[in-house]
Order: sequence, then structure tokens, then C-alpha cells
Amino acid sequence: MNTTMLKTVNLTKIFRTDEVETTALHNVSFQIQTGEFVAIMGPSGCGKSTLLNIIGLLDNPSGGDYYFLGQEVSKFTEKMRANLRKKNIGFVFQNFNLIDELNVYENVELPLIYLGMSSSERKKRVEATLEQMQIMHRRKHFPLQLSGGQQQRVAVARAVVANPHLILADEPTGNLDSAHGEEVMNLLAQLNQNGTTIIMVTHSQHDAEFSQRIIRLFDGQIVNENIMNVKPGISTQNAL
Amino acid sequence: MILFSYLTSALRGLLRQKRYLLINLMGLSVGIAAYMVIMLYVTHEKGYDKHIEQRDKMFRVVEVQNEPGVGNQHVAITMAPLASEMKNYFPQIKETVRILPAYNIAAVGHGDKLFRETNMICADPSVIDMFSIRFLRGNESLALRKPKTIVVSEEIAKKYFETVDEAYNSVLMLDNVSYRIEGIIENQPTNSHIFFNIIISMSSIEGTPGFEWMSSWGNNSLVTYVLLNDELQEQEIESGFEKFVKDKIFSTDEGWEYLEMYLQPVNEIYLKSNHIKFQIVQVTGDSKIITIFTIIASLILLIACVNYINISLARSVKQSKEVGMRKVLGADRMSLVYRFISESFLITLIAILFSVGLLELVLPEINSMLGTAFVLDFREPLFNIGLVILLIGISLVSGSYPAFYLSRYQPISVLKGGITSVGNSGILSKSLMVFQFAISIGLIFSILMINDQIKYIQKKDLGINYSNSLFVFFGPDDYRKLDVLKQTLMQNPAVRSVSGASFLNGVSGSQGPIYIDDSVRTKLTVRYGYVDHDFFTSMGIKLADGRNFDPTRHNDSAGVVILNQSAIDKLGWDDFEGKRLSAVSDDSTRKPYVVGVIQDYHYYSLKTIIEPAAYFYDPSRFNGVNIKYSSQTGLTEIDKYIESKWKELFPKTPYRSISDDKYLAESYRNDLKIRTLFVYFAIISLFLSCLGLYGLTSLLIEQKTKIIGIKKVLGSPVRSIIVNLVKEYMILVALAGVIAIPLSLLFIQRFLDNYPYRVEISLYNILFAVTSAVIIAFITVIFKAGKTANSNPLEALKYE
Repeated sequence: MNTTMLKTVNLTKIFRTDEVETTALHNVSFQIQTGEFVAIMGPSGCGKSTLLNIIGLLDNPSGGDYYFLGQEVSKFTEKMRANLRKKNIGFVFQNFNLIDELNVYENVELPLIYLGMSSSERKKRVEATLEQMQIMHRRKHFPLQLSGGQQQRVAVARAVVANPHLILADEPTGNLDSAHGEEVMNLLAQLNQNGTTIIMVTHSQHDAEFSQRIIRLFDGQIVNENIMNVKPGISTQNAL
Repeated sequence: MILFSYLTSALRGLLRQKRYLLINLMGLSVGIAAYMVIMLYVTHEKGYDKHIEQRDKMFRVVEVQNEPGVGNQHVAITMAPLASEMKNYFPQIKETVRILPAYNIAAVGHGDKLFRETNMICADPSVIDMFSIRFLRGNESLALRKPKTIVVSEEIAKKYFETVDEAYNSVLMLDNVSYRIEGIIENQPTNSHIFFNIIISMSSIEGTPGFEWMSSWGNNSLVTYVLLNDELQEQEIESGFEKFVKDKIFSTDEGWEYLEMYLQPVNEIYLKSNHIKFQIVQVTGDSKIITIFTIIASLILLIACVNYINISLARSVKQSKEVGMRKVLGADRMSLVYRFISESFLITLIAILFSVGLLELVLPEINSMLGTAFVLDFREPLFNIGLVILLIGISLVSGSYPAFYLSRYQPISVLKGGITSVGNSGILSKSLMVFQFAISIGLIFSILMINDQIKYIQKKDLGINYSNSLFVFFGPDDYRKLDVLKQTLMQNPAVRSVSGASFLNGVSGSQGPIYIDDSVRTKLTVRYGYVDHDFFTSMGIKLADGRNFDPTRHNDSAGVVILNQSAIDKLGWDDFEGKRLSAVSDDSTRKPYVVGVIQDYHYYSLKTIIEPAAYFYDPSRFNGVNIKYSSQTGLTEIDKYIESKWKELFPKTPYRSISDDKYLAESYRNDLKIRTLFVYFAIISLFLSCLGLYGLTSLLIEQKTKIIGIKKVLGSPVRSIIVNLVKEYMILVALAGVIAIPLSLLFIQRFLDNYPYRVEISLYNILFAVTSAVIIAFITVIFKAGKTANSNPLEALKYE
């Protein structure tokens, strides 16, 4: 239980255009244990999403080391990252990023197809996940026919269907009203209780309180790490 | 499975953006349909003579002559003794055959059935093997060996007899002479450079009176084909021709001073015989036209593919999200390339099905327009293979670039709200658009020029008036009743004149020398014409000097000649007074005086130049009469009237008439076809280009939605927004014009080179072509741009 899921050492990310050089991350070092629920917070432009992209193997750092499940991955090619990503990481985005042309069932099924799973196994897993997310009755609907909360539940279902070790959530409640936001946070907390590691970028102090630890970023550097006292999975409506 | 997921999302995505789907399908379907029509045409043109099994080893002998007053000319009709001499001389020749059209036979009959057949030939027995003729009845190895024997096609057999069996071994009368039917052959394919349905044995005529020329080396009247042991021996024979000609032909006393020979592959006769002046063919095509059409077909297809590419790029902003998400979920790039290629495959497949449906609808129209009989033959394996190649080819050409372009997106760059601009693809899209419009402008300009040229040749004063006239063919000796015929027909006030002539244009189709009765016996090669005194006046041919033939002067029928202006010019005469010929062709018994000069007129179409011509008043050589009728009377009506009188006067000669106008029009039939096709090509290419432009405008405007929104919020008037958008495109279309015009000038110059009499390149046409493209493009852009510029700015900003 108490193994290291990932570790960064002096992680740096610099974006360069012809005239401007922006340091998005500067010597960021931290580690995350398996089973943790960590929130990353900070003002807009502090580098939260950049960090999440690197952690999620969507992007490489400009400098520093990144160990994912004990493996140094900072120099991986896109293909190697894709391979590692699809087996280990699920993503939840603020704007859901469901594929409009695929229905609920097909969207959730997609990661399993890329994992090369057999059709009967996929059916079993997708249906179980849809049941778990209480969205089974909407499986034939297309994303645009669903409410925001329902769409995000589908996105969470897609993120967890392959049983990833890690779920990365980028402002998962940003586009939802408070009731739907609450639903999604409860889902994430529940998943974490069942053993999934979760890293979540958020602006919301309320959402952050679902986590066990908050990493605060400012201008690309970690300024503070808090251990939360509130137990995950407990609704704290009055926290705000 | 992944393919299923890709196809599902592709199909649903397309259905969601119905406008793009429609544009894509419409563009591709029309493009593919146009391509298929052209390919049907090209396949048809290239399909000639394929029934001749030994065609790869078969050649036609062509002479290159150099004639005074005419210059170099390629002639694919030869002397009669050539075939056997060549076979003896060249061991490489396995077999030869001579073919002579039997134009002079006026009536074919059996019992009470009497018709004029127009596809009869005389041929050596080897024609059967060399032309792969199949026998339904009779012994093919014995046929056509004896005099007065014939073989006829199944169609002819059934025309004159009840059954094929009845026809076999029966007798058919050719101009009252009995010929025994030795064999019934399969109907010959019409897509053959030479077509026949009755073959008369060569021995029926060789050595008989009237065919003395067949032993002469001075008369070119029949075609000689040779079959080699090996196709590679063509060179050996050609290199031996010089010595052969010297030994066998120059050594005769036929007066040959210059003669070269070469072999023309039978495979090339149909498409590559434009340089040949005299030949015996049913019809010829033009390889240049085939090349041009193939290029145009490919360009139209390419325009359609370019549309697909541009529209795909226009959609890419919307599709980037899917690409990004699939990559996040583990799709690699190749698998996404696969995704987009399968999408283009799907669209192409639907487009092909549409285009086949479209063709089924329009083919009857096209066939009646072009005089063709194209069908979509799905049982034909080649046709289906062609469709599959088309499917794969178009899918790859149109799908590859978007596939590689779209699959390049990095997931992180698209997940935050998707990408909003397509960067450098703008330059590519614009270049592609310039390319499309360049083709359209080039085609419009070409059509205008082709149209001008065709109008020019149709309207140009030929120096002969073919309107309201009809030529009726004589049978043997019918000329003797010319006067009676004239008197009879002239009783009808609708008949204005009746004149005896070798043909409706006054010339006989044959060419030969005249010798001037001067100290050096000057030789001039001329076209021979045989007409009576009424011909020139009734056909509006003007006398330049001297007098017309005069029936009251007894000597005129043998002793005088009228020359055309070209002949006088070539001879360098200022005055013809007292000039006479010492001989005509090989006939030195006649020494006709030159009594008149007619102004030059075009006895053939404007595609050939006017050569020297000599006219004789020799009724025995009149092949028929030219009848001028009143413009108040219809052709059918007068034709019926003449036929009724004809039957009374010439009961043994089946009536056959031809309208002079139609004959002339026939010589421009191909040009008219080309014009028609070009008009359609241009409309299609312009239509496709506009579809593409519409797609491209959408692309640009999607990228600029935010800018337009901000500008509107800041109070910029709608007009200036539209003006900026439109300006950008108008410059591109004008640029397309700059590229298109020089290239199409090159093309049109080559087209016009076919005509000795031609129009000048018109600046007006250039301007018109470019302007019309600019205007059409303007309307297309303004349609799209106007809509966006007038939309609520909030929509645009929200979208972003």
C-alpha cells in the first residue's frame, strides 16, 4: 500500500516561442504514494495543468527527472508514453472531452479497445462501470444529449473502466453546478477509498478538501504542502 | 474492432456536419462521374481493332510522296502489285492482303430485294486470317479464291435471305452480275478502323476490263496490309524499303521521282492517322484528343480530391478534440491516420455509388449528345477493377494529407478547448485553391477559343454554297440519262437546278498529275473534278476568268479543262489564253485547252488547305447529281419527291441521297463533340472549384470567428469585415488566372494548329475567363462571409 506511485525531482518546464521564454515549472520535486488523493492548487497560470500534463505523460519536462512506477520516463517518446499511459492512467477533464460522435457506451469502451481487450470482456467491464456510475440507463445516449453532470460521470467511467493505477482530474467540477460537482467529487472519493490513486488540479478549496494532501503551486514552484485532516468520502457541504 | 469504432465515429461525425458531407459527396460524385464518362470515351477510342488477333504483327504500308504543287504527303493507299512484290522481296513478311473498297457497285439484289450497300470491299483471301474473320458457314481456307465469289456477314445474309442457311451457297447480284456466297461470316465489330459486311474476291476484278490499273505501279488505289513473322522485324523492312523502291518502283516507267515507304502498326491506325492524307478507313480518332481528355479527367478528379482535402482541413478544428482524446486514451499516430483514411474510404465508396447512380441517369443523354453507346458494364471485370482502383486511389489521395495533418495534433494542445487555427495548412489550402481555379479558368478560356474557332469554320465563306442541296448517287451508266433526269426533276418548281458531278463538292476524291503542253512538260499534281456546266453556277462557285463549260460546244466534253485559282497560281500563269494540257494522268490522247479559271473554294472542310484542282466535263465520270432546291421546301419532302421520280427512271439503281449540309457538318462532328465535352468539363470544374472555395472560406472564417466577433464588439462595420475577407480571395483567383492563361495558350495553340484556317487568340476571351471566375468566386465567398459577418458577435466569442 505504501509504495511510491510517482516521484519528480527538480522538474522544469520551459515554453519557448520566437521571442518569449516562459518558465512554467521550476525545480518541482514531490512524490505521491499509491492510494493517495492529492489536490494541486494555485492561481491561474501557476503551472498546475502543465504539471498534470507531465504527470499524465501527455508531455515531457524540459528538465529534471520523473519516475513513474519506479521508471524514469522524462525522456520517453510519444509512443512509449502512450503505451504507459493507456495501461496506467485515467483522465478526467474540466470540459469532459467526450467524443461527441460516440455514445456513452462507446466512449467508455474506447480505452479498452486501445488496450486490445476482447469484445466480451469489454462488454462486461463497460456495463459494470456504467452500473457503478449509475449511468447504465443512458448508455445509448450521445454526450450532447446529457447534462454536464452526467457527461462528467461518463468521463469518470471512461477514466476508471480500465482499472488504472492513477486518475488525473483537471478541474473536474469546473463546468458543473454545485450539486453535480458534489456528485463527481463523491465518485472520486469513493474510487480513492477503493484504492485508486487520484491527483486532482482544482481552484476550489471545497473540492480540495476531499483530498488527503494539497500541493500549492505559485509561479511554477511548490510553495506549500498541507496534509488534510478531513477524511475523504465525507460530504462537507458547509466547508465553503 | 477499432475500425468499427473509427467508422462509427467518422460516419456520425459526417452526419452531424451534413453540409460538409453534402459538399464532399457532391464534389466527389460529380468528379468521379465526369472521370468515368471520359474514361468510357477513352476506353472506347482505345478499343478499336482489338478483334484483330495478330494486330501486333500487322502493319499498313504508307507511302510518302512529294508532288509538284502539293509537297510532301502521306498516302496509305498503294499500288496493286506492291503486296506480292513485297512478300517476295522481304522474307520477314508472312502474309499480305490488299483491300479495295467497292464504292462503284450501286446495287445489290436477290429476288425483289435491291439495296445500295456501302460497306463492300474487294480483298485477297488472306483477309480472312489476317482480320480474324470467323465463319458461321463455309470453309474459311477455301473462300474468296475464285472469281465471282463473295462472303457476307450474318446481317447481310438475313437482309436478303430468310436464313443464314438459305443464303449460304446462294447467289447475290452485284450490279446485275451473279456472285456465289461462299461463306457467312460473323458481323464485324464496328469499332474497327475499316468496316465491311460483304467481301468480294479480288480475283473477281483483277485482270478484268476497267481494272487494268491493277497491274500498274503508277496507280495508288488499294490498301496493303502486311503480316510479319515477328513484330520486331518492322525496322528491318523499313530499312530495306529504300532499295526495294529503287529496284522495284523507280525502275518502272511510271515517272516516280520521289517515294518513301514505311509501315504503320495496325494498332495505331485509328488514333494516329491524322497525318495521312489518303486512306481507306471507316472513321479515325485522334490520339491528341485522347491525351487531352485523359489529362482533363485526371484534373477534374484531382479538383474533387482537393476539395475533400480542403474541407477536411476546414473540419479539423472540430475533429481535433477527438484526435486529442483518442491519443490520451492510447491511440498512436498510425492508428489515427488509419482512422482518417478509413473516413475518406467510406466517403469515396458512397461517392462512387452515387456517381454510378448519377451515370445511369445521365448516360442516355450523354450517348445521344456524343453519338456513342456507352454502358456501365458491371459484368466486365476490368470495369470493376477500375472502380476498386478509383476507390483506393481517391481515398488515399484525398485522405492522406488530412490524415497525417490531423493525426499530428498533440493531445495537450487540443484538450483545453480544442485548437482554433490550422496554421500552415492555410498556405496549402490556398495553393490548392489557386490550382483549382487555374484549371477552371484554363478550361473556360479554352472553350471560348474552341467555340470561336468552330463558329469561324461554320460561318466562313467556303466559296461554295452547300445549303438546300442534295446529292443522289448514280449506278453504272445512269449518267446517260442525266438530261432526262434534269428535265423530269426541273418540272417541280421546288427544284432549282440539277447538275451532274463526281461528288457534291465537285471533286472526285482522286488526285493525279496534269502535264502542261509546254517545252518542259510541266507537271502539276491536282485533284480531279468532273462536273457539268450547271455545277459551278448552281453551287455559287464564281468564275474568276474565262468561261464555264458549254453543253452546246461538242468539244467541251473531252477537249477543255477548267482550273482553280490555286492551280493557276502554282503554275505561275498570268494568263491562260491558248494554254493546253499535254496529258491528264496517264492519258495522253486528250490535250484539253484551259478555258476558264474558277475562284478557289473549299471542296473539303476548313481543316485542309485548298490544293490545285482541274475540272473536266466528262459525264461518264459523274457519280451522281447535285440538286439545289428551294429554301421553302423541306429536305424530307424534296427527298421523297426525287426518290419517286428516281424509281421511275432508274429502277435498277437503289436510291441513295445525301444532304450536302449534313456531309459538311459530318467533317466537323468531332470538333463539335470536343466543344460539347469541353463545355461540360468547364462547368464541372468550376462547380467543383466553387464547392472547394466554399469549404475553404468556411475554414478561414472558422479561424477568424473570434477576430470578427472582437471587431464587431469594438464597432467595426460589417462591410469592412466582408471586404477584407473577399479581397484576399479575389487576389488568389486573379493569381490563378495569371498561371492559367499562359498554359492554356500553349494548349489552345496546339488545338488551333489542326486548322489551316483559324481565329486569332482573343484578349477578350482571356479577360472573360478570368473575370467570370473572379465573379463566381466572389459570389461564393460573399455568401459565406456575409453570413458570418452578420452573425451575433456573442456567438463567436462564446464559441471561442
